[in-house]
Amino acid sequence: MTNFDYLKPVSLKEACVLRAEHAGVSQLLLGGTDLIVEMDQGLLSPDFLIDLREIGDLRGIRVEKDDIVIGAAVTFTELIKSKTITDQCQALIEASKLVASVGVRNVATLAGNICHAVPSAEGAAPLLVRDAELTAVSTKGERRISIHDFFTGPRKTALKAEEIVTAIHIPRNSLKSGENYQKLGRYRGEDLAQVGVAVAVDEKYRYKIAYAAVGPVPLRITKAEEILQGGPPGEKSLPAAVEAVKKAVSPITDIRASKEYRLYMCGIMLEKAVNTAVQRMKGNKAGGQA
Amino acid sequence: MKADRKKEITFTLNGNEVSVLVSPDEKLLDVLRDTLGMTSPKYGCGKGECGACTVLMNGKTVRSCIMLAVQADQCEIVTLEGFQKNGITDIQETFLKHNAFQCGFCAPGFILSTDELLRENPEPDEEEIRDALAGNLCRCTGYKNIIEAVEEMVENRKKGAKR
Amino acid sequence: MKKLNVVGHDAVRIDLKEKITGTAKYTDDLAFGPNLLHMSVLSSPHAHAEILGIDTSEAEKIPGVRAVATGKDFPQKMGLYLKDKSILPVDRVRYIGEQVAAVIATSKKIADQACKKIKVEYKVLPSIHDQMEAVREDAFLIHPDLGSYEIVPWLNPKPGTNISHIRKIRKGDIEKGFEEADLVLEEEFVVPHVVHAALEPHITVALYDYNDRYTFWNSTQSPHTQRHILADALDIPHQNVRVIASSVGGGFGGKAGISMEALGVACRKVPGYPVKLKWSREEEFYNTSQRQALRARLKMGVTKDGKITAMRHVLYWDVGGSAEYGNNVVNATGFSATGPYYIPNVSIDSMGIYTNNPPCAAYRGFGYSEFHFGLESLLDRLAKQIGMDPVELRRVNAIKAGDPVAYGVPMNPSGMRECIDRVAEAIEWGREETSEDPDKVIAKGFAGAWKAPAMPANAGSSVFIKFSEDASINVELSGMEIGQGLHTTMAKIAAEELGLPLSKVRVELPDTDRSPYEWQTVASHETWELGNTVILAAREARERIFDVVHRARFLDKEFLYLEDEKVKSQLDPTFELPLKDFVITGIETEHHTWVGGPITGSASYIPEFTNAMVDPETGQGGHPNVHYTVGAGAVKIELDKKTGVVRVLQMAEAFDAGKAINPDLARDQIVGGFVQGLGTALYEEVHFDKDGKILNPNFTDYKIPTTLDVPYKMDPILVEVPQPDGPYGARGISEHTMIPVMPAVANAVANAVGLRIRDIPLTAEKIALRLNSQDFKPED
Repeated sequence: MTNFDYLKPVSLKEACVLRAEHAGVSQLLLGGTDLIVEMDQGLLSPDFLIDLREIGDLRGIRVEKDDIVIGAAVTFTELIKSKTITDQCQALIEASKLVASVGVRNVATLAGNICHAVPSAEGAAPLLVRDAELTAVSTKGERRISIHDFFTGPRKTALKAEEIVTAIHIPRNSLKSGENYQKLGRYRGEDLAQVGVAVAVDEKYRYKIAYAAVGPVPLRITKAEEILQGGPPGEKSLPAAVEAVKKAVSPITDIRASKEYRLYMCGIMLEKAVNTAVQRMKGNKAGGQA
Repeated sequence: MKADRKKEITFTLNGNEVSVLVSPDEKLLDVLRDTLGMTSPKYGCGKGECGACTVLMNGKTVRSCIMLAVQADQCEIVTLEGFQKNGITDIQETFLKHNAFQCGFCAPGFILSTDELLRENPEPDEEEIRDALAGNLCRCTGYKNIIEAVEEMVENRKKGAKR
Repeated sequence: MKKLNVVGHDAVRIDLKEKITGTAKYTDDLAFGPNLLHMSVLSSPHAHAEILGIDTSEAEKIPGVRAVATGKDFPQKMGLYLKDKSILPVDRVRYIGEQVAAVIATSKKIADQACKKIKVEYKVLPSIHDQMEAVREDAFLIHPDLGSYEIVPWLNPKPGTNISHIRKIRKGDIEKGFEEADLVLEEEFVVPHVVHAALEPHITVALYDYNDRYTFWNSTQSPHTQRHILADALDIPHQNVRVIASSVGGGFGGKAGISMEALGVACRKVPGYPVKLKWSREEEFYNTSQRQALRARLKMGVTKDGKITAMRHVLYWDVGGSAEYGNNVVNATGFSATGPYYIPNVSIDSMGIYTNNPPCAAYRGFGYSEFHFGLESLLDRLAKQIGMDPVELRRVNAIKAGDPVAYGVPMNPSGMRECIDRVAEAIEWGREETSEDPDKVIAKGFAGAWKAPAMPANAGSSVFIKFSEDASINVELSGMEIGQGLHTTMAKIAAEELGLPLSKVRVELPDTDRSPYEWQTVASHETWELGNTVILAAREARERIFDVVHRARFLDKEFLYLEDEKVKSQLDPTFELPLKDFVITGIETEHHTWVGGPITGSASYIPEFTNAMVDPETGQGGHPNVHYTVGAGAVKIELDKKTGVVRVLQMAEAFDAGKAINPDLARDQIVGGFVQGLGTALYEEVHFDKDGKILNPNFTDYKIPTTLDVPYKMDPILVEVPQPDGPYGARGISEHTMIPVMPAVANAVANAVGLRIRDIPLTAEKIALRLNSQDFKPED
């Protein structure tokens, strides 16, 4: 790890000033579970580390009229313990429980996970199927970024160098809905996702389907959504949706999994996720992982 | 490139207030072990994947090998040394009774993770026990005695045995 | 049979309290004061290259750097069975990650920075990463000087090739044997490299003092052998090398022999300063040792009644860049690759082949897990094709006491049939189960297993026992506690022999200056050999006790015995002399003089019937192994036909321990070994790129089992058919428990869906893609 200066602002305003001053040569620190590892490996070498943990504005989960708002400092453990998230964001809860291990979840944040923006980011697909938005602030002001515009490449986001994400907004469901998150790992223990899929469906059978780890960025598969739209998954529609997914994604072969297996599993996991989400939407308890 | 600028951090370690001067890039694990003499958290992998470095930070388990020491400023840190300072705990005694560990390298991490589990969820079922301890790797035991010991701890605490 | 008070009874292991209180000191926990220096090692980026020159001048200039060492400073070669390994290489590197230079500095950070400033000029050579390429006649030679290396006389390298050793068995008439068979199958099996992944990485702290002495503090299974290898390599007196053993955070064979600890000798450049070298997890993957990779060609014939008539087993071992230890894996498996079965006609060729992969040495099972994969898989195939139950096939062929093994020596007493039967019963073999989930299949798989300790014919142990005033004892020995419970085993034996409770026995970690010689803690031979030695030492102490009592009290020695920490007499039930009254001070006579003095006992032991000098062409004419331990294992799996995921729901394993000194800890070895085996069966594999670089030197991508991955029901079963020359009848089992796992799982997969996989590991990807491919045909 190279030398860096450690800064700990006590207010969001101060944090924005520091971030602007050191735009491009600073990294933001909350949990640090990805950041510290990458700095050790030499993948990141910031001159400044800006620790945001003193900033109260970033904490807490609250329910507003239209949105559930998750502060940038909210950890995966806090998400898992939150009744709001458990009741209203099923895919996010399932994905959160699969992040690493308890000791990592206790400090790692959803915001950090999203901003790290690796193609397999656990929080990505659940947020994509909820059309989430992020609030990014800087000395110049505040703006909302749609999750659909957020991921621009492997480990690249739409954030400007001087911006800080302060919150993630998840629009509340007005209709009865069901969600499921499926993760492909090499075994049941802690693993990075080789395929991740989130499916959300409402009582009008409007589907939202998002995949992670099978392309340079996490993405929604609108073609598959259109095929399934309007009714429960059928003998023809589900395989057709699977085909649409396979055409839309571009998985790689690496030591974790081959392209063939990932493509194959995209289909298997879609079936499971769609069926589970539909069951849950109907109010039936349906199982978790494949 | 800025020069190495040390920071003074102050935190409670095992109930005692300590102040140390650390370099921003120093890991909490290394400061605990090399500067403060707490050798129970161990280096196993350096990436937070094996749990041997687990300590309690404000009551929660964290992987000290991927935390910077500066992140511990103003926190309460407990290592196994402090965890048992009022006497060996029921968690340790039950692990002892079940011959739960072999080489012992993973034991401090397991003990603290078990403590957190039982505080958060006093009556976990076997699946919940496995899930809570999945971040602590053990190469020797196959986990059978560890899990059975935790199940006994749950039963004993239900009956009102000592903590 | 005398009633046993301690041996054979469960107890809390004697080293556990210190481990659960954080009291146990592993090498990195030791405090060495402000003079501690730190070493970093520059490693080779090339798998095979000549070193043309090393320029350390820039590194030496960095403030805080105290010394730099290269092969010029330590050109010696070293090794356990053959000296093909360098402390620091002089002219050639043979694998990516091999040490090239070492820097000693005031901080690890400075040492790391200085390493980056060392300039090495390499001439890259062709590198070979597949043993089948390396074994070819025209292959580039990895050890062109093989013929000039010092080597033990019982190994057969082939200079002028990449073959580091070949062990052959020719027994009976192989052609006739195949002719007698009603069914002959020939198949090939592949097992990749895996690593030990002990939680504690390798570490050494070394100090060279002004008294010309090296002191090492190591995490090791072999303190005396490390001392010997270094003293021998450096050509210095043994008394000038001292190895002090700390608690070990897991060994599994990876801390046997010597690897990175040898670099500690560079501390000679900074006399008076202790120097610490500790491996990162990444370095642990690259530069310690790995388990050999194997390609096995196996041909077996059976009659329609299931009797095996002949076996031809050719084992191609990738031993990596150094075979100094791994050659014995080649050797041991060459003798034993029949498995626990009587086979009248046997032809085995076991070949160690150098490659430019990391060196492979000792790993739990010592080659046996690897060859049993193919053997036990093929046995299932043979059984199915002749319409016989696979477990019955094992029963029919199970080796019995007196049957000649592959090298002609009669098999020792053992309970193979009992192990088979008890495992079959525990797993409910024959009872089919179906899953409620239509996508899942439940099936069972079975495998037999055996192993003999793989050690030189003269591997020795010694023990020294001394009493304290309160009649407690210290049992001084150099057998290492690496988690397997060895110290508890030895303490129980000493307690039993001397009539003491376990709580009055202390067994501690050795110091080669203070502790009597032990070859190594490997081979699952310690319970047997060191146990016998403890008995002899205890009996000597007991003899001395009886002698003192006889001389002071005129009692007949023949009728004295020890019980409850007292000397008693069979002739006089009222006679009771507490040990604590005299084991230090002696006994006062009627004249107020004293007889006796501090009671001690010592003993040493080597097997005196073993002979490793067999005929190199046939393997016959010697007695290379002391005895075999047999066993069997089975799993019940649930296989998801869509995802390929295999979940092991239940396991049962039985091993014939002869006499379990610690029944509870022995069962724990079965569970632990099973789980370590499970990882190798399902997902563990070292991935290399085509140039020999390890792609997964971390736990991110080298997965070992977690609490979520182990079966819910695990049945460890101990069988006890006494080993006639074992302590209380005991023999070892700790390595063995890994051996049946890979084939048991592979057989279960085949039983589930007819998919036969012959290349380990049995990943979900392999199962899903092969099962669901167009070309899939269930095996016949």
